[in-house]
Amino acid sequence: MAATVKVMRRPAAGTTSYLRSAIKGMGLTFKHMINPDKATHQYPEEPVELSPRWRGTHVMEVHADGRPKCVACGLCPTVCPANCIRLVGGEDDQGNRYPIVYEIDEFRCIFCGMCQEVCPVEAIHVGQHFENAEYTRERFVYDLDRLMEQDHESTLLWDPSDPRSE
Amino acid sequence: MADSGTKTERVTLTIDGREVSVEKGTTILEAAEALGNRIPHYCYHPGLSAPAQCRLCLVEVEGAPKLQASCITTAQDGQVVHTQSDDALRQRKGVLEFYLANHPLDCPICDQSGECKLQDYVFAEGRKHGRNREPKRVFGRDDFGGDILFYGDRCVMCTRCVRFMNEAAQDPLLTVVERGNRSVIDTFFDEGLEGSPYAGNIVDICPVGALVSKDFLHKARAWDLDHTPSICPNCSQGCNIDLHTRDNRVHRLKPRPNLDVNQYWMCDYGRHRYDWMNRTDRLEAPMIEREDSRVATGWAEALEALTARLEEVGDRPVRAIASPFSSNEELAALRLLVNALGGGEIHFRSPRTDEEIPLPSFPKLTRRKDLAPNVKGAEFLGMARVGDDDATGGLEGLEGFDGILLVVGDALPDCAPDFGSDAALHIHLGSYTSRATEAAHFRLPIATHAEQEGTFTNFEGRVQRFWPGLEAPGAARPGWLVLAALAAHLEGTAVPQRAEEMFLKAGELTPHFQGITYQDLGTRGALANEPVALPGA
Ligand code: SF4
Ligand code: SF4
Ligand code: SF4
Ligand code: SF4
Repeated sequence: MAATVKVMRRPAAGTTSYLRSAIKGMGLTFKHMINPDKATHQYPEEPVELSPRWRGTHVMEVHADGRPKCVACGLCPTVCPANCIRLVGGEDDQGNRYPIVYEIDEFRCIFCGMCQEVCPVEAIHVGQHFENAEYTRERFVYDLDRLMEQDHESTLLWDPSDPRSE
Repeated sequence: MADSGTKTERVTLTIDGREVSVEKGTTILEAAEALGNRIPHYCYHPGLSAPAQCRLCLVEVEGAPKLQASCITTAQDGQVVHTQSDDALRQRKGVLEFYLANHPLDCPICDQSGECKLQDYVFAEGRKHGRNREPKRVFGRDDFGGDILFYGDRCVMCTRCVRFMNEAAQDPLLTVVERGNRSVIDTFFDEGLEGSPYAGNIVDICPVGALVSKDFLHKARAWDLDHTPSICPNCSQGCNIDLHTRDNRVHRLKPRPNLDVNQYWMCDYGRHRYDWMNRTDRLEAPMIEREDSRVATGWAEALEALTARLEEVGDRPVRAIASPFSSNEELAALRLLVNALGGGEIHFRSPRTDEEIPLPSFPKLTRRKDLAPNVKGAEFLGMARVGDDDATGGLEGLEGFDGILLVVGDALPDCAPDFGSDAALHIHLGSYTSRATEAAHFRLPIATHAEQEGTFTNFEGRVQRFWPGLEAPGAARPGWLVLAALAAHLEGTAVPQRAEEMFLKAGELTPHFQGITYQDLGTRGALANEPVALPGA
């Protein structure tokens, strides 16, 4: 099939004025400046509202007495597809199993949320948080203390009124 | 297994539509296992008597009025058995529900999780959700002494542990106290399992996490561990074991069944001596002499320099020190090299005690006096034991020796730093750093038994294979490869590429190994051609 090509002639220099289009464009811009329905979000002055199912950096839940809820069961390092959780279990002075070392490399994490889903004691959660800038790469490996200090909301992976999606 | 003996008559029965022929006297459970069809069970263990009390192995036998416990029902000619019939499945599901009535949902903190028979059976045949609304009984945790912790809530009352202590160890330290719902395993008053030399086996046979090892407590999850078949290197019995490893460290040793050597068991002495496999004070690079100092190099350069030095030193008397912790392959390669250098005496030093610790139900399993795995192999290859019972001394004859001195696998912990300084050439092949070896002209790093393939010869001359479970650090290589490469260079022959080829070469050196291949040995081992007489067996 032969293609038909429409040849547009370029206006000769000096014979065409763009002034009309320029004014039209500026008009649109000024209109948006005073438009009350504008979509632009004034981040970071205005904080972003995240969806309750937003999956961001982790939070480790703590007991009332300040101990981490994690019992070092080893399920989250097993399920993690990015293999970014390091866990060494041990026993504390009250005979409870607890994580001696618990680290998550947030750089390798793909925020799938499976660690939260698998945790039998609802200890580790992905959180509603995304502002994580750091000056060094090492700082992205969150250790247990840092995970316990995180104070942002944790993610709702499911609807609390219908936890089994029934 | 409890009563082998002289059964030769065979019976043929049908299990789940498949015919199987077994020796008369075999139980239905064992016959099904021969078909690869595992019937759930707790109280039955092949190494112990079967009290048929766990009620989990119930199967339907045509013609019988009710379900039969397959672990004690002997197979009859023409019997038709259904292990998966509706009735059998329904009843086993009911039994499992009763087990869960009191069992805590402890899996996240239980060391057995992942290798637990309660998890497995409930997953395969149990109910999805519990219906029990009653509170569970609580016992808490008890220290049984020695290496053993007891979590009473998890116990399924199979009494394997009690029967092991009564029947196998014949040291009745455990019993069931109370009855019914309140029954629990306990020791007698203050007396614990401390000092009972085979008690560690009850942790292995406990089908759930009721008995756990203190040494292994919370160390690793069962599914994270790799299992490598190996041989216990702690005495000349040569128990078959599995190395359970993770992150290039051995975390525990478990017995591997071999009815001719250790049945299903191993001793606690051997079980807890694995730390040396994880030692980090290792030789990692070949060190060669350069003027007055020693420098690290690569293997090619080290072997080149060493062969050049051997030629330069020329015809000198040769003496060698071997180690009974080396494999047959390593010892044979040393013998090859010494022969290639013109022949010489090879000695080894070996730890030994006065005490033997037999397992009463199977005295052939004994923690032997020789506390090294391959004394027999060294003797087969014409090496002689010297020194004291703690593997020291015996090297006085080497003082002022000015020939070629070869030390393989012995770190010479008792020797002075100037050991071998008079020798024209002092070559050390070892795994660990030590003072006495620093002066060696050549110091070459070799792998330990946990890091390479090979064979050991046990006290009765049984040759058994082991496999590598760890990665050797740095440039460490199997000792046989290094020694055989040197020998091959001197003789102008080909270097054996695999441990198997090296073992065939060992067969050329001694009639004991002649004609044996790795294939003959399999995973169970085979007796060397001339088995030695067993003292008192
Ligand atoms: S969110 Fe996913 S990738 Fe990130 S730590 Fe959890 S399991 Fe691993
Ligand atoms: S799954 Fe939960 S309890 Fe288990 S190790 Fe991870 S955080 Fe700890
Ligand atoms: S402790 Fe283990 S082996 Fe002993 S009776 Fe209980 S479940 Fe069986
Ligand atoms: S009897 Fe010997 S070979 Fe067997 S487990 Fe004990 S030390 Fe190891």
